[in-house]
Amino acid sequence: MCFTIRGRAYRMEDMDLAIQTENLTKIYGRRLIAVNSMNWEVPKGAVFGLLGPNGAGKTTTLRLLLGLQRPTAGHAKVFGVLCGPSAVGVRSSVGYLPTNPKFPPHLRPIEYLGLLGRLSRLPREQREPRISTLLRAVGLLGATDQRIGTFSTGMCTRLGIAASLVADPPLLLWDEPTAGLDPKARRFTLDLVRKLGRTKTIVISTHILSDIDQVCDHVGVMHEGRMIFTGSMQDMKRRLASDDFILDFDGDTEAVERFADQLSGFDGVQVRVDAGGRLLLKLTDGHSRAGVLAEVLKQVEGNGLSLDTIHCGLNETENAYLQLLQEDEAHGFGR
Amino acid sequence: MVSAVEESTLGSRMMPFGSILGHDLRGLWSGWLVRLWLAGTVILTFLLTVGNWGQFRDGPLIASVLFPYLVFPWFFVVVVLGVQTVSGSQAEALADGILSRPIGRLEYLFATWLARVVLVLGVFLVVVVPFIVVIVLAKRPVPEDHVTVFGVLSALFVVALVLTFLVTLGFLAGIVLHRAMLAVVVLVFVWYPIGLILNTFSLEEFSPISLSRAITTQLRQSLHASGDAEPDQVAIQEAEDLSRQVDHFLSVFSGAKPAPKPGKPQFFEGRQFDDFSVFRVLLGYGLPSLIALGITAACFYRRDL
Repeated sequence: MCFTIRGRAYRMEDMDLAIQTENLTKIYGRRLIAVNSMNWEVPKGAVFGLLGPNGAGKTTTLRLLLGLQRPTAGHAKVFGVLCGPSAVGVRSSVGYLPTNPKFPPHLRPIEYLGLLGRLSRLPREQREPRISTLLRAVGLLGATDQRIGTFSTGMCTRLGIAASLVADPPLLLWDEPTAGLDPKARRFTLDLVRKLGRTKTIVISTHILSDIDQVCDHVGVMHEGRMIFTGSMQDMKRRLASDDFILDFDGDTEAVERFADQLSGFDGVQVRVDAGGRLLLKLTDGHSRAGVLAEVLKQVEGNGLSLDTIHCGLNETENAYLQLLQEDEAHGFGR
Repeated sequence: MVSAVEESTLGSRMMPFGSILGHDLRGLWSGWLVRLWLAGTVILTFLLTVGNWGQFRDGPLIASVLFPYLVFPWFFVVVVLGVQTVSGSQAEALADGILSRPIGRLEYLFATWLARVVLVLGVFLVVVVPFIVVIVLAKRPVPEDHVTVFGVLSALFVVALVLTFLVTLGFLAGIVLHRAMLAVVVLVFVWYPIGLILNTFSLEEFSPISLSRAITTQLRQSLHASGDAEPDQVAIQEAEDLSRQVDHFLSVFSGAKPAPKPGKPQFFEGRQFDDFSVFRVLLGYGLPSLIALGITAACFYRRDL
C-alpha cells in the first residue's frame, strides 16, 4: 500500500522501519570497498547494536545515512525518506554522535548548541531551556565558559551526546559513544541509552561487545563492508557453534581426566579436558540437552567429584560474534 | 501584506542559513587577518588622502583611494579571506559539527560565501565611504571638480563587483584545490598577469588597471549623460562592442582565426581606457562570478566528507 506526503510516495511497510538500505555500496576512489552491497533494516523503536571490527564499514554506513557521503550504488532510507547530501529532512530526524567528535574549537558549548538549535529551526523559547537542560544532563554546566578546543575527549563526547539531542530527534546514530570514556562516564552513557531507548530508535556502532550486551535488543554484525548477521540478541546468541557447557571441579586434574574417559562412552556428548583442568562438554544434535546434562551430573555425583561451577556457552556474545566472523571468512567465494 | 504566520515560516526556513552566515561572520571577524586588514586599509586610505589633499581634484583623489582595492595590495588579502578549504581536521569538524545537522550543503556553501562577501564589502565600504564624503564636502586648495552621486555610486559598485569576483575566485580555488596555501599561490599567479590574459582575449578594458584608470572619468558621469552621444547610439555601440568581444573570446578559445578588428588599441595605449560601461563591467565580472560559484557548488556537493 502506498500513500503520499508532500508529493513524495511512501510504502506502508517502509514506515515501520527506521532505517532501510538496499544494495548500499561505497567504493573509495575505485580502490577500497568500504560498504559492499549491504541490505539492512532497523525496526522503529529498536536499540540496535552495530558490531564489527575496525574497518568493517560501520562509520561509513552511518555517514551514508546522514548524506555526508554519497553511495557508489544502492540507496539508504531513513523513515522512508531517501538519504543524500540534500536530504535535510533525514538529518532533522537524526541525532548523530561521531566517534571522538570534532567541533568548532573557538565556540563555547552554549554557542555551539545554540547554533545547532538554530540549524534545527528551534524557536528561541524552546531552544534556550533545552540547551540548559542538556548541559546539566551531560554534566557540562561547569564548563560553559570554556572553549570547546580545550575540552578533553570525554567532555567532547558528552557535548556530542547533548548535540545529538538538541532537536529531540526520533532516531539516534551514535558511533562508538563509549570510546575514550572513563568507567563513570561509560556507565552514564549506557544508562542514558537505556532511558532514551524507551522512546527513540537508537543505533550504536561499536566493537565493545559488553556495551551491546547491556543495552541493545537487536544486533547487526558487519564484516568487510557487509552485514553478515542481523537479528535479535537472542538470535545472535543461539548461533553458537555448539551447546557447550564448562564444568569446573574442585580437585586434581587426574580425577577429572578419569571422569572424562568414563564419559567418552556416553551417547550424545563429546568430552575433553582443557589445560586448566576444566571439563568441556559438547552436546551433539538429536539428544535432549536436559537429559544428557542430568546424566552427566549424576555421574559427577557417583564419582565423588566436587563441582564448583557450570558455565553455559550460550551467554557468550563474544563467542557468537567471533564465530560469525570466522564463518564469514571461511565461506570464501560463497560469501 | 505578509501575515505573522508567513513571516515566522519564512524566518524559520531561513534560520539555518542566517545562523551559518552569522557564525561565519563572527568566526572571520575574530580572526587576526580581518582586523589587521581593517587597520591597514584605514591607515593607507588616510595616508593617500592626506598625501594628495592639496594636489588632486576630487575625481583623481577618490580614484587613488580606490586604487589599492582594485590593483594592489588588497587583492591579496581579499583572495586569502575568500579561500575556504574543506580538508583534514576542518572537514571533520565541518562534517561532525555542522553538515550532519539539518542544513543543506548548498545552503551552507552559499551562507559561507555570502559571509566572506559581506565582510570584505563591509570593510571596504566602512573605510572608503567616510573618506569619499570628506573629500567631496571639504573645501580644498584645488580647482573644483564635477564628481556626481551617480559617478561615486557606480565607481563603488564596480570596485565592489571586482572584490566579489576575487572572493568568489578564492572560494572556488579553496574548495577545488583543498589546500589554502596552494589556492592562494595559484590565484596570485593568475591575478598578477591578469592584464596580459585579458589582452589575449581583447578584454583589456576589464583589467583592474584599466578600471582604475577609468574610475576618474566614471566619477564625473551623470545617470543619463554619456559624453555627447544619444542614449540609443550608446546602447547600440555597446552591444556591437560586446558582440565583437564575445566573438573574439570564443575564436581565441576555439583556435579559429578571429575576425579582423578595426584599429585594435594597444594595451594601456594613450587614452583608450579612460572610461567604461557599468553594464559591461557588470557582465564581465558578474557572469564569471556566477560561473565560479556554480562550479564551487557542484564540486562541494559531490564531495565525500
